[in-house]
Amino acid sequence: MEKKVSEIMNTKLETISSDATVYDAIERLIDKRIRSLLVLPKDSKDDYGVVTVRNIIFKVLAQKLDPVKIKIGNIASKPIIAVSKDTNIEEILNLMLKNNIARVFVKNENNEIIGLVSFFDILAEILIEKAKK
Amino acid sequence: MLEKFWGSGKLEKKVLEKIKDYLNTLCSATQCLKEVLTKEYIEETYCVENLEREADYLKREIISMIYEGAFLPYIRPNLCAFIEITEKAFNYLNLCAFDFRYFKLDIYKEIKEECIKVADINVEMCQILIKGFEALTKKDNLREKKLAIRIYEKKVDDIKLDISEKLRNSELAKQVNFWEGKTIAEFVDSLVSISDIIEDASDYLYILDLSLK
Repeated sequence: MEKKVSEIMNTKLETISSDATVYDAIERLIDKRIRSLLVLPKDSKDDYGVVTVRNIIFKVLAQKLDPVKIKIGNIASKPIIAVSKDTNIEEILNLMLKNNIARVFVKNENNEIIGLVSFFDILAEILIEKAKK
Repeated sequence: MLEKFWGSGKLEKKVLEKIKDYLNTLCSATQCLKEVLTKEYIEETYCVENLEREADYLKREIISMIYEGAFLPYIRPNLCAFIEITEKAFNYLNLCAFDFRYFKLDIYKEIKEECIKVADINVEMCQILIKGFEALTKKDNLREKKLAIRIYEKKVDDIKLDISEKLRNSELAKQVNFWEGKTIAEFVDSLVSISDIIEDASDYLYILDLSLK
């Protein structure tokens, strides 16, 4: 797996503000058929966050809390794990394993998030590389 | 074992070599289209046309050799069908290159990144199709080649949606006349259809493989 993360990352990032409600996030996740949203920082001192279906289920729905009343900022995981676009796939896999996470974000030189790599992207890459041999 | 089905005669070997040449020509045509789209070099579009003509000649040679008696009779129609499916990819490549000559470059620039991604995937898919054909003749693992092609095709489907969305929201694209709009639509349609055809061809290889078991 010699490829860099920038070659396999998904650049279509769905974002949400930390002031939005969990219900807004649920609607977005269902509409776009995705499993996570990037939570934008409130200001320049704040970090990016991520809200996943898992967060919503365990922190809100399973606790019988009202998703309309809970703000995304209260349940988002922060800070996110982000790597530079030159990172190789092997390193991404190690990060995923070490931190028990399913997605790693990719940042540019200005520390802005520009992409996302999920398990599925890595699975696809491994299968394609195998087929090319 | 495989020789029992494929035949081990000179004519069969010649046909298999010609099919490989045919697939290599397809690969060259996809590479040529990628160059055109990357460099926005109109002159290069004629290279796709020339390769299509070359492939047409190869196709006729392959089909004549098959009907001269290469392979067992029940394999012949399947091999011819595989060639005919692949031929459709040449038609789309040619149409795409032709439409590019009339494509307004300022609108193209808005979708250039996505178009290059698709062209690049087409090249990669072709290379895997060749590996797939080799896997069929060597009785190697064809299933993994087919899966990789399917993964690529899904990627093209996603990019296709991005291209449509960009064009729908483009102010420049809203100002074009009927013929310019038709050119854009045909260009995009043919560009994203190449991978569909390669996927069909790879499915057909798999069916051929199953029918030989």
